[in-house]
Amino acid sequence: MKSPIHSSGSWNLFTLSLALLFALPFFSLLVTAGSGGENVWRHLLSTVMPGYLKNTFWLMVGVGSGTLFLGVSTSWLISMTEFPGRRMMEWALLLPLAFPGYIIAMVYVELLEYSGPVQAQLRLWFGWQNSQNYWFPRIASVGGAITMLSLVLYPYVYLLARTTFLQQSATLLEASRMLGKSTRKSFLLIALPLARPAIAVGVSLAMMETLADFGTMQLFAVQTFTTGIYHTWFGTYNAPGAAQLSLSLLIFISFFIFLERYSRKQQRFHTQSSIQTTQTRYRLSGIRAVLALSFCLFPVVFGFALPAGLLIQWAAESWRGVILDRFFSDAGNSLILAGITALLGVFFGLLMAFGSRLSKRRRVHWAARLVSLGYAFPGPVVALGVLLPFAWFDRTMNAWMESTFGVSSGYFLSGTLFILVFAYLVRFLALAYGTAETGFGRITSEIEDASRSLGKNSWQTLKRVHLPLIRGSMLAAGLLVFVDVMKELPATLMLQPFNFSTLATRAYGYATEELLKESSLWCLTIVIVGLFPVVYLNRHLRESTPQNY
Amino acid sequence: MIECRNLAKSYGKLEAVSDFSLHLEEHEFLSILGPSGCGKSTLLRLIAGLEVPSQGQVLLQNREISGEKIILPPEHRKFGMIFQDFALFPHLSVESNIAYGVSGSRNEKQKRVNELLELVSLPHLAAKMPHQISGGEQQRIAVARALAPRPRLILMDEPFSNLDYQLRLQLRRDIRDILKHEGVATIIVTHDQVEAITFSDRVILMHNGKLVQAGTPTEIYQYPKTLWASSFVGEANHLPVEWQDTSLNSPFGLLAVPAEIGKETQILMVRPEDFRIEYAPDEEANGTVKTVDFSGSVQIVSVELKSGDTIQVSGSPHYLWSLKEPVKITAERYLCFNSSGHSLEGFAEE
Repeated sequence: MKSPIHSSGSWNLFTLSLALLFALPFFSLLVTAGSGGENVWRHLLSTVMPGYLKNTFWLMVGVGSGTLFLGVSTSWLISMTEFPGRRMMEWALLLPLAFPGYIIAMVYVELLEYSGPVQAQLRLWFGWQNSQNYWFPRIASVGGAITMLSLVLYPYVYLLARTTFLQQSATLLEASRMLGKSTRKSFLLIALPLARPAIAVGVSLAMMETLADFGTMQLFAVQTFTTGIYHTWFGTYNAPGAAQLSLSLLIFISFFIFLERYSRKQQRFHTQSSIQTTQTRYRLSGIRAVLALSFCLFPVVFGFALPAGLLIQWAAESWRGVILDRFFSDAGNSLILAGITALLGVFFGLLMAFGSRLSKRRRVHWAARLVSLGYAFPGPVVALGVLLPFAWFDRTMNAWMESTFGVSSGYFLSGTLFILVFAYLVRFLALAYGTAETGFGRITSEIEDASRSLGKNSWQTLKRVHLPLIRGSMLAAGLLVFVDVMKELPATLMLQPFNFSTLATRAYGYATEELLKESSLWCLTIVIVGLFPVVYLNRHLRESTPQNY
Repeated sequence: MIECRNLAKSYGKLEAVSDFSLHLEEHEFLSILGPSGCGKSTLLRLIAGLEVPSQGQVLLQNREISGEKIILPPEHRKFGMIFQDFALFPHLSVESNIAYGVSGSRNEKQKRVNELLELVSLPHLAAKMPHQISGGEQQRIAVARALAPRPRLILMDEPFSNLDYQLRLQLRRDIRDILKHEGVATIIVTHDQVEAITFSDRVILMHNGKLVQAGTPTEIYQYPKTLWASSFVGEANHLPVEWQDTSLNSPFGLLAVPAEIGKETQILMVRPEDFRIEYAPDEEANGTVKTVDFSGSVQIVSVELKSGDTIQVSGSPHYLWSLKEPVKITAERYLCFNSSGHSLEGFAEE
């Protein structure tokens, strides 16, 4: 089949090779996992696997129901009722998203452990001598991890459910009331089922994040697949074992990817455009307004205000003691890595989205979609998948150089920042690609045709029509990639060159040495950077909701 | 059965409905007709209980259901409502949509659903989802759903405006028959005069939140109370006139009108079909043909009068007028309006 657009042949080839390059880690995992033989697999099954499965199961159940409860109830209060402070809570509820799981975990460990201020104060008040005298929930546990992750991940559900509630046609609820159902019943029978796909998307995102989480689990010593991959690799350098664990984890994740994609598809039928009439909010007053406000305040305080406040206090106490040179060099490293990745990510994402759009071939679309799965791959999996082929390349290269020239080339790829940036791109390219794809989706093919018929080729069309139209969303995509790289922990930990560290890895390093207060300056910086996408999300949301709202 | 007393609703400074009163008999079909933005949908929502009035009351069988002291929630009013976008629940099947408002056992519900599917002649769609059926079918299902709980009153908000022309004519007739068959009183809100006239027994004309005129469709067409009403319902020519001694001086001659009316008259309203147009030699003619629009059954002739006014005349299709032909225009029927645009009285030549 000859494509009608002259230049699309080279575009196809280009898109396809880009996609294959970024899918390399996945294939390397497949190959490595297969190389270990049966023994490794049997060994894993009999030793660590049952524990991983048990922990993973409880984490899924816990974080799933935690985010579901917090997300749906707050979004309902915010979109269906009116109470003093509602407008402020509306954006404040997004704030916990700025906290990476491992940072909030670090703060609560410091706060709630045996020697922490809370238990010390309790002992003082009640005269307890030691931990045998009283019971206190252990923070470093599966339950603790569930609480931490629910607190920072519920905004996914909140965000999606709230948008859906606001975009739902008010006439549907009115129709329900005209048919004799009360407001509360109408919500349960109409609004909630209609929001179900969106809620499912939010919960699956939260669960994928939970499966991918490394820092929280490591700090709380909860054995899961991600920490398992890390230890299998660093502890025993058992590549096939780590690869097999990675693939098992990917099987779980693919289930949630499926759930998320399926729900998004369902959502199409459930949203209908309609003439938006003023949605009448249910006005709460007196004690009920106070209850609603406190309910919304709860996740904001414990998921953001309290830990942020503590970080500020600790940073103020400890900054004289910390080595500021170290801080600035780490911040510089983070900045450079995040900046380069963001630029490259936006560049490649744009090219791939445009190539995939030009192409009428299925395999190009599939290849592009394969890349967008990278985001679902947990950091340790990506790190392993990138490390293995590069290390193999370096070894082969080294051997060849030594045998032919008698000199050693060393590990000239795997010990450098190049491999780190490549791993980031594998993981976060999906963000940029997805944004570009959505942006392109809003440009009709007629516009493209018009430009082509006016004598511009595909490059010129991209430059003069598409780029100006999607500049805003690409900027946003760059920002998201930037922030995600800043927050990224496990892949950086596994791939960073010797004697090199970023804000995230240093903060984590301090935490493992129980120098939590010393790490607060690092943590605070990550949280502040993490606030930018929250601000962006909030603005974006305002623009997408009806005016009279 | 339904009565509105001095109903008013304002949003901030904007008064959507002001001092509106109406009543509706059992089994009656009433249209509320007005241009978009005139407040007619707000009025309907006030009756439905979806909006709270700023002033006035709504009474159901002489019992107050909306007023200062009481607002009966919409779910307790037992009114059926049919929305402009139909508002079928997208996650429920056609069957479940219809069953939504029905109470009773599973069997009773199923029986009622079947009855209504028969009534709207769509029993084969029971298991379909709303997005799988056509617009016209959605409309009928919306009617079935509203009728299912046996409402006392049906409220329709521009129910046909989302459908294409052919379908609209067909459905208007079908749904009218269905509602008449069920014997349920109906209020329909529309901006389409033909819809109002063909659908209902009585029409209420609404403009800028106020009631302009109430009456049968013929009454409103033949005796519009204001100049605005005359041109909103049907076509109308508005011509400036002056009282001279004993008669009205119009662009087509002196008209005999009682002095007490004639002295007040500023504007004359004449329907295009109420003009008589005939050929006349130049010296007898009072106008010339400017344009001719022939559309089969009628011929709309635009005539420039010697006074400078241009009027639309509907002529017989049997004689085709040619451009610039001198003609003599006389009015067989006309209405007098005062300076504020209110009707004084109508006259017809013997």
